Amino acid sequence: MAVQTSTTIQETLERVRTLAERSGAAEAETYFEFITLAEARVREREVELIQQSAITGLGLRVLRDRKMGFLYTTDLRRNVIDELVLRTIALADQATPRDENKLPDQAFPPQGNLEIFDDAIAAMRPEQLIPLARSMEDNAVARDQKIQTTLDTRAGYAIGEVHFSNTFIPYQVFRSTTSWLTCTAVATDGGQKREGTYSDRKRIFLDLNTPERIGRKAAERALARLGAKPVPSTKVPVIFEAEAAGAFVGGLFGAFNGLNVIEQRSFLAGRKGQQIASPLVTIVDDGIQRRGLGSRPFDGEGSQTRKTVVVENGVLARFLHTVSTARRHNVQPTGNAARGYDSLPTVGPTNFYIDSGSSKPDAMIQEVPRGLYVTGTAGFGFDIAAGEYSQQVEGHWIEGGKLVRPVEGITVAGKLGDMLLGIDAVGRDLEFRTTFAAPTIRFKELTIGGV
Amino acid sequence: MSLESPISRRDFIRNGALLSTAILAGSAGAIPWLKGAGVAEAALMGIGQELRDVLNLETVNRILIEALARGGDFADLFAEQRFRTSIVLDDGKIDSVTYGYPRGAGVRVFRRHQTGYAFSDDIAYSSLLDAARVASSVVQNQSPVRPLDVTPRRIPPAFTLVAPAPLMGEPMKFDLLRRMDAAARSADPRIVSVRIDYVDEVRDILIGTSDGAYVIDRQYLVSIVCVPTAAQGSERRSGFSSLGGRVDQDYFPRRDPEGVAREAARQAITLLTAGPAPAGAMPVVIGPGWGGVLIHESFGHASEGDGISRGTSFLSGRIGTKIASPLLRVIDDARWANGRGSYTVDDEGTPGQRTTLIDGGVLQSYLLDRQSAGLLSMRSTGNGRRMTYRQWPIPRMTNTYIDRGVSDPASLLNGITKGFYAAEMGGGSVDTTSGNFNFAVRLGHLIENGQITKPVRGAILIGNSLETMGKIEGIGNDLVVEQTRGTCGKDGQMVPVGVGQPTVRFSSITVGGTAI
Repeated sequence: MAVQTSTTIQETLERVRTLAERSGAAEAETYFEFITLAEARVREREVELIQQSAITGLGLRVLRDRKMGFLYTTDLRRNVIDELVLRTIALADQATPRDENKLPDQAFPPQGNLEIFDDAIAAMRPEQLIPLARSMEDNAVARDQKIQTTLDTRAGYAIGEVHFSNTFIPYQVFRSTTSWLTCTAVATDGGQKREGTYSDRKRIFLDLNTPERIGRKAAERALARLGAKPVPSTKVPVIFEAEAAGAFVGGLFGAFNGLNVIEQRSFLAGRKGQQIASPLVTIVDDGIQRRGLGSRPFDGEGSQTRKTVVVENGVLARFLHTVSTARRHNVQPTGNAARGYDSLPTVGPTNFYIDSGSSKPDAMIQEVPRGLYVTGTAGFGFDIAAGEYSQQVEGHWIEGGKLVRPVEGITVAGKLGDMLLGIDAVGRDLEFRTTFAAPTIRFKELTIGGV
Repeated sequence: MSLESPISRRDFIRNGALLSTAILAGSAGAIPWLKGAGVAEAALMGIGQELRDVLNLETVNRILIEALARGGDFADLFAEQRFRTSIVLDDGKIDSVTYGYPRGAGVRVFRRHQTGYAFSDDIAYSSLLDAARVASSVVQNQSPVRPLDVTPRRIPPAFTLVAPAPLMGEPMKFDLLRRMDAAARSADPRIVSVRIDYVDEVRDILIGTSDGAYVIDRQYLVSIVCVPTAAQGSERRSGFSSLGGRVDQDYFPRRDPEGVAREAARQAITLLTAGPAPAGAMPVVIGPGWGGVLIHESFGHASEGDGISRGTSFLSGRIGTKIASPLLRVIDDARWANGRGSYTVDDEGTPGQRTTLIDGGVLQSYLLDRQSAGLLSMRSTGNGRRMTYRQWPIPRMTNTYIDRGVSDPASLLNGITKGFYAAEMGGGSVDTTSGNFNFAVRLGHLIENGQITKPVRGAILIGNSLETMGKIEGIGNDLVVEQTRGTCGKDGQMVPVGVGQPTVRFSSITVGGTAI
């Protein structure tokens, strides 16, 4: 767990990269991560788990004759790394040459302050997490007699450093912090048990929801599920409450992945410029959102991050790219190379969301004579190639514009293309608690599978 | 990475070659590229040779003494070294080749239900002594406990491999992928893209425990997943097939890799013309093999000791009671030959075993690690597993399956006038508090008047655990344990697993299609 200074890391990375270049790599890239993290979990007022550790790892990518090899290791001893460098170059030789295999070669001016580092988190000690976790649990249990216990109540933080350089872009580094609070409360009523989870995750400690609120919300969610029953199969309007809508947009991400598009694995392939969603829908990937959980000054291969509007008022504007997928589409990269030290860059989200609309969430419910209000989804139900959707859901039945009873044991299904076009209201309650987010959205009609 | 979003903690299984991290080493002679001198070479020689040199009996004893310096019921040191190779073939090209070489060690201390954990990305004695101090901090105001001196334990292997698949030369691996790619492409002109993911790993582990065990093991694993996509007009459909397990090199020629690739291509083509799946509750028959994802989700997770000892699982306190159809027998078998979830020893030094979970519909056992076993005054069933040295062990499944029944599979369709046959399954997930679970079907068929008829597209299938298990009406005699593709996620930890079942008939399951 020895902490190295930045200077030492920079020297190591420069040495490794230079060694690769001298040993036959036309282009080389080093990506180094150093992350310290701590987490405390509390259950029934006692500390159930405390952990504290540091992660260090190096990824080395080399290109030779447009062929790519990649290696990662946590073993940073000099003679080990040197040996591995040579092996990675030999390895690259076994890949197929691809025209698009080229590292980014454009340095760019520094980004404005993204506010992704919080000195308060950097100064935290693991023992400070315990009272936060206790407070969440206490507030969950205090909410109602039916809440006797919690299943998973934890608080944690991580402080990360990314050190990057390649043959063309000089050494650069950024630091970031994250802190999280999460509580899963268990409601018991007779023989029936239901859990409810509420979580928050932020770059800046003071931006977090209070532990009191998180505990209370977790309890309320668990209580709301007691007595839930299935409904008969039908076709009705369906509202996804903001968190469920966020999970939905997360499942949809793969359709905008430039690699899936060019390999015909997205139902949106070939649809650029077309109306693919209701005019109410604007979908954004924003890598430079202030305090954004997915924000960073440069992406996993050193490209400049940016804000990209993917769907503008329902029209498919552009797909998301790494350098290599952008080359295959003959467009500019979008700064969406996602990775850790132990993986190659792939197209991934930064802060990916449906933009806020103008509807009041309450009014969205009131306008529905008979329908479903979804608060939670589960299951591997997105078929991005086929454009089909089917998931297990739970929530509340709507009669006469009101939530009348809790519902579970049902499915919701539709064709993704029809679903997006059929969104007839978008709420104004967008909030970011994960890297995927959406306001409350309403689908004109979906199929419910029930009893 | 262990920093995944805490938002969702549903336990799940997915199909695909998503190994978590990974690594290390055969004899240098067996892996041509490992020839060479230096520390890297030493690190890659022999079974955990370097782990053993640095973490010898004496060092491990000292680290464990430090770990229990403030008291505690138990402490262990877990060191791990992996070597992992992954190859992606996409668009007919070897896209990338990756070697991964993570290694490190973690120290855990627990007292009753309290756990302290810290790890280090290096295996230096001083780093691990630090980790031991951090882990020990979970215990407050207790007297030091003296651990037993560790002594090497030999555990009979679950099965032996003569020429483990990960040690085959790279040219053989590339050749396999290219052959599968060509076979999938030539299966039909409508196949527009093929992606094949190859992953293998050699994992060396060393475990020292405060009750005196010192165990070393090596685990081999390989997985190939083939996903061809077919297009016709604006329709696009993907197929899926896989190969692998903890297998020898001669497994591949025996399994006909081209045939496996063509099978995935055929699925994609069938799906192009498949109709919409039905919606609603109806009789469902689930095909053998990967269909075991149902028992994994509906029952397996709930039987894991952490939820049991906390009293949050609906199976808490139910041992000896009838919980399912008398036809049902469920097994978790860590020693299933070549299984993806198999091992000789779990990640806390307990031998892997075969555990009967349900017999005659009566709950027989839970799946326990050391901590949950201690809390329940039971013995560990050898199900303590961890994703890597960066995580602490928790109770997990190995290869979990519904045992062979007596019915002729075809007879299970008799008398169903309108139902759903689940032919190819995807992943699933469960909420172990309520027992509500789901699993995806990728390709289904309608059952009409006792016959399998039209193919239909995928849909999610859902149920509630005990309720669904009570609806089992018949179990076939065609048991298949799927060993090539399962990765189970829980508390952010991914581990390879097997699942299985014969053909099983349910009186009613809710199907999440669009056709009413």
